[in-house]
Amino acid sequence: MPLTDQQRQQFDDLVKKSRVVLFMKGNKHFPQCGFSAQVIGILKETGVPFETVNVLSDPAVRDGIKEYSSWPTIPQLYVDGEFLGGCDIVKEMHAAGDLQKKLGVVDKPVAPPKITLDERAAKAIKEADEGGTSPPEHLRLEIGPQFQYELYFGPKQAGDIEVVVSGLTVLFDKTSAKRADGINIMWVDTPDGGAFKIENPNEPARVKSLTAPELKKWIDDKKSFELFDVRGEDERAVAKIDQARALDEAGEKHLLGLDKKTAIVFQCHHGMRSKSAAERFLTEGFTNVFNLEGGIEAWSTKVDSKVPRY
Amino acid sequence: MSDHPTIAGIENTMKSAILEKIPGAEVSVGPGSGGGHFVVQVVSAVFEGKSMLESQRLVLGAIAHLMKGDSAPVHAIDSLKTRTS
Repeated sequence: MPLTDQQRQQFDDLVKKSRVVLFMKGNKHFPQCGFSAQVIGILKETGVPFETVNVLSDPAVRDGIKEYSSWPTIPQLYVDGEFLGGCDIVKEMHAAGDLQKKLGVVDKPVAPPKITLDERAAKAIKEADEGGTSPPEHLRLEIGPQFQYELYFGPKQAGDIEVVVSGLTVLFDKTSAKRADGINIMWVDTPDGGAFKIENPNEPARVKSLTAPELKKWIDDKKSFELFDVRGEDERAVAKIDQARALDEAGEKHLLGLDKKTAIVFQCHHGMRSKSAAERFLTEGFTNVFNLEGGIEAWSTKVDSKVPRY
Repeated sequence: MSDHPTIAGIENTMKSAILEKIPGAEVSVGPGSGGGHFVVQVVSAVFEGKSMLESQRLVLGAIAHLMKGDSAPVHAIDSLKTRTS
């Protein structure tokens, strides 16, 4: 439905209510759609102040802005009253530095992140690279705002940051590069053949998962860590891992006295109770917290069959 | 179009709608990250000299009627690429 002159006037005012106005689903603290969230992430990264209009709270705005901009999707970004585009365009302009120019901010050069890649990961990547594509494709690593990782082959894009490691070129867009400094990309064994695993020191602390064979290796390697069994004495009497300390009153006291950076592994029967315990100690400020996936059951079946199953 | 169009049906409808607006274009439409999500690539000389905004607007304008309303068959375009060759 075409807009009336009055509606058009309202949008003329709305898009100019601030230098930078984003029409989106949700607000800047709680974006309610992935595309809106991506644009919010980019705007925050540039550091410019911006206003948002939540189209979900007013159907007239939601339909009207599509008509006004001749653009059928949300989000929509306006700068100085001019429509710049949706998520795709904003992403591309940001990567190329054009968005920063439009916003009048200095496009600070991003230092190439220092990354490491273990031998098996490098081998897996080289095997996956069929080569011979035109334009040539390189390995790209995208790191999302919640530290979601996407590793894939794609063409080089404007503004890309290139890192050469273990004979491989890895491309990052600027935002991903900032989240990538110090990462370690590994190839680990999984039940379905293997997978990439990424350790990233920039990630906010969260419970990391540890498999039974990995725990065995830590013990064999005499790695420095603490292992806590969150089960009660009744279950511990049936089966336990020798190195595990009970998380009873004394155990908890010992734990709380540890350095907050200590590697701490929690273990239970199947890995559920230990996960909750691990999350609780994360809120106590511990930053290097692991959950033994599959609990003592996985330990019995994968590492030490002498430990009884129950 | 039926009330419950199939994915292949929607893809074809999108393709024809784009071709109607940009005759002779090389159009590919594929599934995106979930129901109602699609990825679109259009290759046509018509984009020559046009900005990315103008190019995308041309394509999106062709399928806008399929994206209108809450029960629209096309919920989102995950990625839209326009190229001249």
